[in-house]
Amino acid sequence: MVEASAALVAWLGMSLIVLADGRRGLALGAALATAGIALIVFQGATVIDAGVLALGGLLMAARQLANGPGGWQLMPPGSTPRLVLCIAAGLLALWIAFSVTTGPGAALRFGVMTVVGLAGARVLASQEPSVLLTAVGLLALAIAATAGTADGGQGPWPYVAAALFAAGAAWLPVKAAHAS
Amino acid sequence: MLPESAEVVLFAALVLAFAILFAPAPAPRRSLLLRGGAGLAGTIAISAVPTFELALLVLLGLGVLNASTSGKQSFAIRLRAPVLAVAVFALGLVLARATGPEVLGRFAAVGLIAGIAAGIGLLPYLHPFDPGDAVTESPIAWMAFIGPALAVVVVAGAGGVLAGAAGGAFGAMLIGVGLVNVAWGGFGAWLTESTIAAWRYSFIADWGLALCGFGLTVIDGRRAALLVLFSIVLCRLPLYLASPQSPRVRTVTERPVNLVVAAALAGSAPFAGFAARVLILRGATQLYWPLGLVLAVGMLLWLPGSLRLGRSLGVPRGRQAIGVALVLALNVAVGLYPLPLLEAARL
Repeated sequence: MVEASAALVAWLGMSLIVLADGRRGLALGAALATAGIALIVFQGATVIDAGVLALGGLLMAARQLANGPGGWQLMPPGSTPRLVLCIAAGLLALWIAFSVTTGPGAALRFGVMTVVGLAGARVLASQEPSVLLTAVGLLALAIAATAGTADGGQGPWPYVAAALFAAGAAWLPVKAAHAS
Repeated sequence: MLPESAEVVLFAALVLAFAILFAPAPAPRRSLLLRGGAGLAGTIAISAVPTFELALLVLLGLGVLNASTSGKQSFAIRLRAPVLAVAVFALGLVLARATGPEVLGRFAAVGLIAGIAAGIGLLPYLHPFDPGDAVTESPIAWMAFIGPALAVVVVAGAGGVLAGAAGGAFGAMLIGVGLVNVAWGGFGAWLTESTIAAWRYSFIADWGLALCGFGLTVIDGRRAALLVLFSIVLCRLPLYLASPQSPRVRTVTERPVNLVVAAALAGSAPFAGFAARVLILRGATQLYWPLGLVLAVGMLLWLPGSLRLGRSLGVPRGRQAIGVALVLALNVAVGLYPLPLLEAARL
């Protein structure tokens, strides 16, 4: 039950990142998605692994509060395709994770697929550096969470590397888009 | 680290040294050293990390760093390809490790192939390209420098996660994508107007051949793939670096050296590309002889493009001439006696 709720939180956070353009919306989305991923990881890995992942993601979210366009800018005009994307991606991932695939770790599969899919889509469709870096940071956290699907334990390194990446990427100085 | 990966890292280190020592005078050496050093560190990291997830994180990091440095394209556009590659790799990995119907493995194979194509910059996902970009910012450098380590690690990793029919599908898709790139790159290098774009297409064609080698499930295929990677990193890339980089410069010379360079680029005897082509044809014939026929026809596409690129090199002078001579000599040595290279990779 906890796992399923965490996966839902991760989807909700990632959807916020897809739907928001402002720094507050992005920060809340990043915090929610991080919490969801860390909770899912916590079910199959150690507290330290999940804690490191959470710390990296929360640092990224904190940085996000001071970076990018101001306010929430949640669902600005023309956001209907993004909303459809969030719902469709969630449903598709839900079907694959819980119905097509079998065995334990369904919530992990759902969480990873939604975060990876939506983060990838956000990067492909955005020009704003703060949005891109948030999506890339969450993509890194989801990749680390993929380690939970492997047969043997992979140790803490994927989680540590992803946390460092997410926290570090948010501070990367990037100029605003100047070409399309 | 896999022996094959270690060799690819060595190739990258050698070409970086070549670039610093022999690149034409206008080339920004400080930038070459900084960005090339970062790229080499990334290549080592991709090859040396113990898990696939860590390799993906390294790739993502390299992609973000590469996109954030100055270039004619925006950060968003330069970021797309590595992010797409990492995303489809991750989705493929999740599907490959999940239990379920057999078709899941095939979808996982699609994810891994799409990741290879997007990660290296091949069809169906070519990286954004501007002939005016500096060498260090060009997708050509990424394709020839980061690409080989990535391909070796992913192909080796795929063998571990894709079993049975999915492994066969992975190989078949590699060959299919490889053939498309051979054709596209061959025609592009021949017919495109810009010489720098022609160089880029020639790299794509070479990569197509490497993918075909990886896709063949026989040992000759892996050997051929390694030799094609050698040829990309230590023949085509240094010759590209030695050629005039400005899109405004239109050098066309027809000296013997240009013909020899064209022969090396076309993979004719006695250069390393020839040994690779012989091995790939032998492997393809063992597997399914019509494939060998298709590959042989595809290999003819290298000729017009290589003649054009050989002529565009001009007449090398000074240390540039020494660099070109060294590259040609190294390729002749490997072409005549590739066994030490293959044995070092345990192939």
